[in-house]
Amino acid sequence: MPNIWSIGGGKGGSGKSFITGNLGILLAKGGYKTLLVDLDLGAANLHTIIGLPLPEKSISDFLNKKVGTLQETVEPTPVPNLYLISGAMNNLDIANLAHEQKLKIIRNIPKLPYDYILLDLGAGTSFNTIDFFMISALGIFVTTPEPTSIENIYRLIRSVYFRKIRQVLSSHNFRTLAEEAQERDARATVSNPDILLYIMKELDPEKGEILENELRTFNFKLALNQLRKQDNPNIGALICKIIQRHLALKMHFLGNISFDERVHNAVCKKMPFLDLYPYTQTTLDLRTCHKNLLTIDEAEPILQNAVD
Amino acid sequence: MKPFREQNYYELLEILPDASPLEIRRAYKRVFELYQDESIVSYSFFSKEEREEILSLLEKAYLALIDLESRVQYDRRLIELGLMDRDGQYSNKMKEPIPIYDFKKVHFDVFEPDRRLDDLKERVSQNAIIQGILAQDILTGADLHKIRTELDIPLEEIADSTKVQIGMLRAIEEDNLENFPPAVYLKGFLKSYARYLQIDESVVVNGFIKRIGEGK
Repeated sequence: MPNIWSIGGGKGGSGKSFITGNLGILLAKGGYKTLLVDLDLGAANLHTIIGLPLPEKSISDFLNKKVGTLQETVEPTPVPNLYLISGAMNNLDIANLAHEQKLKIIRNIPKLPYDYILLDLGAGTSFNTIDFFMISALGIFVTTPEPTSIENIYRLIRSVYFRKIRQVLSSHNFRTLAEEAQERDARATVSNPDILLYIMKELDPEKGEILENELRTFNFKLALNQLRKQDNPNIGALICKIIQRHLALKMHFLGNISFDERVHNAVCKKMPFLDLYPYTQTTLDLRTCHKNLLTIDEAEPILQNAVD
Repeated sequence: MKPFREQNYYELLEILPDASPLEIRRAYKRVFELYQDESIVSYSFFSKEEREEILSLLEKAYLALIDLESRVQYDRRLIELGLMDRDGQYSNKMKEPIPIYDFKKVHFDVFEPDRRLDDLKERVSQNAIIQGILAQDILTGADLHKIRTELDIPLEEIADSTKVQIGMLRAIEEDNLENFPPAVYLKGFLKSYARYLQIDESVVVNGFIKRIGEGK
């Protein structure tokens, strides 16, 4: 099974593709066979970030049955060990995916033979985005220190979280229990998951535990992008704290990534930022995030035991 | 984790039950900044009602804990409910100052010889041989050596304590006149030697100097 990371961010322009591309390059350089999947269907441009000329194959070849398997749409990139499934050159109506096609993608991505698979998701909280995000329980959220971006992060996290709760509730026939909980405390709805969980656990400890364990599989990270000098560097850690405290979710802070004017240059030159500006604070920050991503991931079970 | 609204005041402010008033004030300032209306982090996370509820909860927690009397009452309730450990309570005890230097060691050095000196004085006055020697008009190095062996004190100990070179002390005990220092120094060394053995300084110095004078 590959390690799959979904990278989402709610707001457009917060740097999801930038971070996906550069983390992918760092993983590949670290010796992992890494695949990037551009799932921002309809507005895909991950290939530009990693310095790949317009790719010939794309994910719609698989959906249109031009090729038999998803693996055949994989393109090699100039970086050794790094591969890409592009979303460019898709049909113009690809953004409005039929349910059947969506399921086809969701089912096939985990079967691909790579060490790491990074999913670059589009902005917004449409069902497509959320369902793609939930291909993996491991998610990286990208935000900038602006109210608009932070607001959208919360929306996305809540959407993913609530969808998961609903899924668990319906697949385990918990509906009656949830209604019972709401009768006891009017606030115990899906939008107050911590209260809902608490009361459900009181009513039926066994079922409450099932729901809790299902929600615990989520393992979220947060990267704070485009931090300018005048910004409060603690914002990222505080966002994680709020989410941990009020949604009872695992949320770790990967780090701040400094704002750099030259990201624009790198995109215009169609070259990876890491290679064009290797000795900048922003590159250093990306490396720190990459390191934290690997170490926090591995340290998780140990920490879990220590707490229990 | 317990939902926010079910947490006790300490959990709400994220402090330990033995937190000092200063820590409580700091903790309240910290959470207030996180949940207030202007906070960029939380303003879009909560609705207006939720935020008001949280802020009033935090204020209630702060006011209950910052006043010592109401805090004691609250603690008592938590202890009764079994939610808090009696030993974990805050007590307004001043911490003991921690000494930077170990003064006790110095005291120990001062007091230890005292006991030794009293003991020694007694032994000198009880010992007939020593008293006999001290009664002589003239004292030789051999006499001093005899006194010392009676008291069973090694020469090294005297040298170590008086800082007189051991060779010099040996020369005195062996009546090795050639190696004697000038008379001024010799008197000083004899005094130190006598003081360490708790015998009369003037008797030793006078008797010894007289003996040297005769030897010449």
